[in-house]
Amino acid sequence: MPIRNRVLATLGALALIAVAGACNDDNNDVTSPQGDRVYVQVERLGNPLVSEVFLAKRNHGFHNAGKPSTDVANHAAELEAFVTTVAGRDAAVANTLATVLLPDMLIVQTDKATSSAGWLTWALANGYGGRKLTDDVVDAGLSAIFGNLLSPNNVSPGLTTDNVNQNDKPFLTTFPYLAAAN
Amino acid sequence: MRNLFSRPRALATVAVVAALSATLAITRSSSASDHQDTPEVELSPRMDMNDVYAFPGASADRIVLVMTTSSPITPAQSASASFDPNLLYQFKIDNTGDGVEDKVIQVTFSGTGTSQQMTVRGPVAPTTTGTMNTVVSTGPSLTGAVNTNLGNAASLQAFAGIRDDPFFLDLEQFFRIVPDRKPVTGALSKLPDQPTASAFRPAGQAVDYLRGINALGIVLEMPTAMLTDGGTKKIGVWGTISR
Repeated sequence: MPIRNRVLATLGALALIAVAGACNDDNNDVTSPQGDRVYVQVERLGNPLVSEVFLAKRNHGFHNAGKPSTDVANHAAELEAFVTTVAGRDAAVANTLATVLLPDMLIVQTDKATSSAGWLTWALANGYGGRKLTDDVVDAGLSAIFGNLLSPNNVSPGLTTDNVNQNDKPFLTTFPYLAAAN
Repeated sequence: MRNLFSRPRALATVAVVAALSATLAITRSSSASDHQDTPEVELSPRMDMNDVYAFPGASADRIVLVMTTSSPITPAQSASASFDPNLLYQFKIDNTGDGVEDKVIQVTFSGTGTSQQMTVRGPVAPTTTGTMNTVVSTGPSLTGAVNTNLGNAASLQAFAGIRDDPFFLDLEQFFRIVPDRKPVTGALSKLPDQPTASAFRPAGQAVDYLRGINALGIVLEMPTAMLTDGGTKKIGVWGTISR
């Protein structure tokens, strides 16, 4: 084979290899999940308001990248310190809040009466717990932090409710429950 | 309001409200219990989980799980709003009390816009627990179009699509109390730089800042036994978004 033809043949083979390689690059096909693709957690949410209220902004990423099984070790001290030193409540309130909010999961006692469902009712009333769409979690959080939900001492009356007590649109009584888009 | 800063407890109060409002807003015009809580998710709204709910379903032996993301979406933005096909949305369930997921429900999307397709896997034991996950090897439990009720009312049901943001709060008054946390753009940025309130507005004057605002919602309903299977009747539920 003349030298020129050999060069062309070699180039052609290289081109074929390159094309084949490109066609096999399936690992970048992110639109169809594959068993071998490792997804890395970037966002996490259990109880409402937990990281927002109790954890410093700089620690939100730490919380988002974490998991419930290490929440007490990683976040309980900061949560309790916030309640006692920043909110000025006693240690009992801080301890109660840390105990019910960490590990950061919505606790559901599925064998309790469904009529008792609502945020933190599992802890406050041995109820179903979970979180309903209609739950005013802002007021619940404010009343625990500033009000007399957990203790009558050192309350701040003007900050225990934002006086927005329900959604602007009624929720559906049947699946999918969320109100239609605006 | 300025007088409050000379009284330690009132200062503490301001700090608490500041912290509360910090993630209720930060930039743009957001709000809710976990809206835009880090710069990373703020810049990528599809990664931003807003709220998670768990409540009884159509019968006492069924449970509903809800996750909302991407709020605030205005009505004008809603037609083009879609889930990110590059992300893995999961509900995780601990049914043994150790804070480790025993069941997962994995939701993924393909395509964009109104023709987007939803795929639900599980509830099933995860391939790996913790913060680095793979899609389970079991086949999809449900697949179908967004903005459509999928599944069977006797078994697993699923819905994903644009809905009214279910969260509600007087965010504007938060920023009157703690203006240093107000956003730098949008209508709320125009509130005074100095505090003009030390308490929330009374009923009748308070305003739900999320009225008329939409979010992307994922709603699942199933027999509760699918989640308590192999464990106790007391479960812990949380949501994750992974990329």
